[in-house]
Amino acid sequence: MREYILKRVLISFAILFFVSILIFVLGRVLPGDPVQAALVASRMGPLSDEVIADVRAQFGLDRPLHIQYILWVSSFVQGDWGVSIASGERVLDMFMHRLPVTLELFFGSVIWAFIIGLPLGIVSALRRNSWLDVTVTTGAILGVSIPVFWEGIVMIYLFAVLTHIFPPSGYVPLSESVTGNLLSVAMPTFVMGTHGAGLFSRYVRSSLLEVLGQDFIRTAYAKGLPRKTVILTHAMKPAMIPVVTVVGLTWGYVVAGAFIVEYMFAIPGLGRMGVNAIFANDFPVIQATLVMVAVNILVVNLLVDLLYAYLDPRVRVQR
Amino acid sequence: MLLEVRNLSTHFETDGRIVKAVDDISYCLDTGETLGVVGESGCGKTVSALSLLRLIKDPPGRIVQGEIMFEGKDLLALSEEEIRAVRGNRIAMIFQEPMTSLNPVHTIGFQVMEPLMIHKGLSRSDAMRECIELLKTVQIPDADIRARAYPHQFSGGMRQRVMIAMGLACAPRLIIADEPTTALDVTIQAELLELMKRLTVVKGTALIIITHNLGVVARYADKVMVMYAGRIVEKADTRDLFRAPGHPYTRALLESVPRLDQDLKVKLRPIEGQPPDLAMLPSGCAFHPRCPQCMDRCRHEAPALKNVAERHEVACWIHD
Amino acid sequence: MALVRHRVAFAGLVILLGLIVMAAFAPVLAPYDPNEQDLYQVLQGPSRQHLLGTDDVGRDLLSRVIYGSRVTLAMGILSTLFAAVIGILAGLVAGYKGGIWDAVIMRITDTFMCMPALVLALVIVAALGPGMKSVVISITVLAWTGFARITRGQVMIVRELPYVEAAHALGASGYRIMFRHLLPNVMAPLIVTATISVGMNIMLESAVSFLGIGVQQPTPSWGNELRIGYSYLEIVPLFSIAPGLMITLAVLAFNFLGDGLRDALDPRLRGEEKAGS
Repeated sequence: MREYILKRVLISFAILFFVSILIFVLGRVLPGDPVQAALVASRMGPLSDEVIADVRAQFGLDRPLHIQYILWVSSFVQGDWGVSIASGERVLDMFMHRLPVTLELFFGSVIWAFIIGLPLGIVSALRRNSWLDVTVTTGAILGVSIPVFWEGIVMIYLFAVLTHIFPPSGYVPLSESVTGNLLSVAMPTFVMGTHGAGLFSRYVRSSLLEVLGQDFIRTAYAKGLPRKTVILTHAMKPAMIPVVTVVGLTWGYVVAGAFIVEYMFAIPGLGRMGVNAIFANDFPVIQATLVMVAVNILVVNLLVDLLYAYLDPRVRVQR
Repeated sequence: MLLEVRNLSTHFETDGRIVKAVDDISYCLDTGETLGVVGESGCGKTVSALSLLRLIKDPPGRIVQGEIMFEGKDLLALSEEEIRAVRGNRIAMIFQEPMTSLNPVHTIGFQVMEPLMIHKGLSRSDAMRECIELLKTVQIPDADIRARAYPHQFSGGMRQRVMIAMGLACAPRLIIADEPTTALDVTIQAELLELMKRLTVVKGTALIIITHNLGVVARYADKVMVMYAGRIVEKADTRDLFRAPGHPYTRALLESVPRLDQDLKVKLRPIEGQPPDLAMLPSGCAFHPRCPQCMDRCRHEAPALKNVAERHEVACWIHD
Repeated sequence: MALVRHRVAFAGLVILLGLIVMAAFAPVLAPYDPNEQDLYQVLQGPSRQHLLGTDDVGRDLLSRVIYGSRVTLAMGILSTLFAAVIGILAGLVAGYKGGIWDAVIMRITDTFMCMPALVLALVIVAALGPGMKSVVISITVLAWTGFARITRGQVMIVRELPYVEAAHALGASGYRIMFRHLLPNVMAPLIVTATISVGMNIMLESAVSFLGIGVQQPTPSWGNELRIGYSYLEIVPLFSIAPGLMITLAVLAFNFLGDGLRDALDPRLRGEEKAGS
């Protein structure tokens, strides 16, 4: 087990290394010189080449590429994420400020995905080939296909414009009002979690069906266990273990969803910060956002893998 | 009589076709007796055993007729709850795949304890104590430690011992062992069968061994039932069957197996042809296309079981 | 279930054909010129003259939605084609040559895998400047990895097969083996991937356009219609809901079809419940 964890962590670091190179290269290759952008943003007017060269040196941009890369990584690791070109704020501060909001959205969307996808997947497997099963499996494809932004618009129209159940946009911090907070995140998290709900129900269904076909289920019935016990203690546990991997599969959609959803619902989180930075060509913020997105996805996938290994005795006890 | 099966038929329906997996079989078994059920794969052995405990998945399967009298009650007439009280308690079943018949995510101990807790109402700790005893009886070393292990940490033979312990847990009156040792090494097979036989003799438990291995039958069964295409073609005491096999199929089976007491010059003869497709049975006697003694009558009329000697029944026209 | 799946795949095919007809015959089907403005009739609700109403500069929404299918479908299909060509080549090389080629190509795909496509697409499009060309380029850059992975995986399996080894032994050249023997074998999963990929690419394009840096007005695309319509959601809900519905239908159609194709081309065993009461 320890060896397994170590291996997974090392792989994650290796991928992170490649990602950091990709982000670094993206910053150099893509048009739109950050220095130029910075100078333009600071409205210093047209500048002589000397001044530009000066500033470049100041940012270390005249050094060889690999040195620049090492400088960038080491300062990033030390918490120096640069300064926003648009606002002049420290990027790390901006990030920390908005992190709780986005974390709440992540958390909420996973909860939605679970509480919708899990029961639907289970009943759909247990009532196989019934109209309910057909509805759920078809709905699951809809769930993974529906674009976040359109779902958001329809939700806003139905529940904010037509019925006023939820506020159409905005975010109420938890410290201000618990109900207000929950109302303000209900729709955005639902929209972000839809993809996961669709995936969950599909995986739960097929996983449960597969387990129900196993020999040990027949053994359980032969022992005289009632169907309820067979399903709950013998089928659910082995069926649910592989389902945790769905969190990893849907995580990219959740993260990407945060960008669109926060933009649509005017929620002051990291996604909105990222989108605005992209609009404003605010390179230090874009760079930090990309790095943290990658770190986030790697960490979640690592945790999912470890959780999976922990839950499955076949992996846990042997390694 | 402990068990009396009368005119049991189990059919499966797939794509509108009816497969008669078990077709009108009758037999009985007394306390302490061992019955061997023999036949090629797909002849209805396993389905007939699953039918006893009503473990046929419906749909597609259905027990269409018959009576299963066990301890004076018709199992087919019991309510869902009543039959559950029989399963694993009065009748236990040991399956053929020790690798896949145990739940991979629960400990061995839990799985052996389960029948004790639901049928005997034992508490967890009592059940655990009992379970360790059981594991010792089936000769699993370090039973108290091994009880906390998972199936994947056991070898095939050890897992089958666990299955036996599970079957014995509630001291059932009847144990059905479906090819209990097929997946195992020959030496372990013998060891386990010995163990099973010994434990059942001690407690007077009746045993049904389903197998395609005639050697197993010769050694452990008191009486034998040969099945072909869902029907019983021959029924006899073991000794009589081996001494005077009455059905050409039984004879063919015997000739296809090497025997130690036989002259080496006698050639082994495999049975020609394939077991029939149960959905498209030949007319008349189902065995006739493969039968060396096939007569005209066999193609049109199916023979019924008939006494050829005392306690020896054969379904074949050659005895007519 | 198989029947239902067929029906679902069939529904996908029907929707898709509908969309293609719509795109192909846009000039015939559209009641108005999609760019004709009528400033006296802005933000109208549905009426007999304008079945879906009009937009903020008085253009007929139905006509814009019909013409939008051209842009959206073309971009989805084009970027998939580009991505497929690049991905298949990369996958063939990685799977067949192995070694350093394999390592490098696979590390690149790993890297892309842990970044959501939308986020990278936004960055790339923003850097290249808004417009259709940037969108197609960015989606291509992101979408090839899926094809590469699948091709490589299949090649790894197929190249061990006896007849490929036989071809090798007969002296067939590496490229000949790759194209004549390996590629036909990986076609089935690739077709499935491509079908689903078109849907995903349409979603990406729409998202980028929705955020305002994709296809630019006055060229009608469903994504940018949605963007403007969203500002007027309370006045004319159809302005954003109609193009959004088209996007959803298109994505759904490709997913339904992909699902059906997967079942048809790659039948797997489905679990049967063994015994029950």
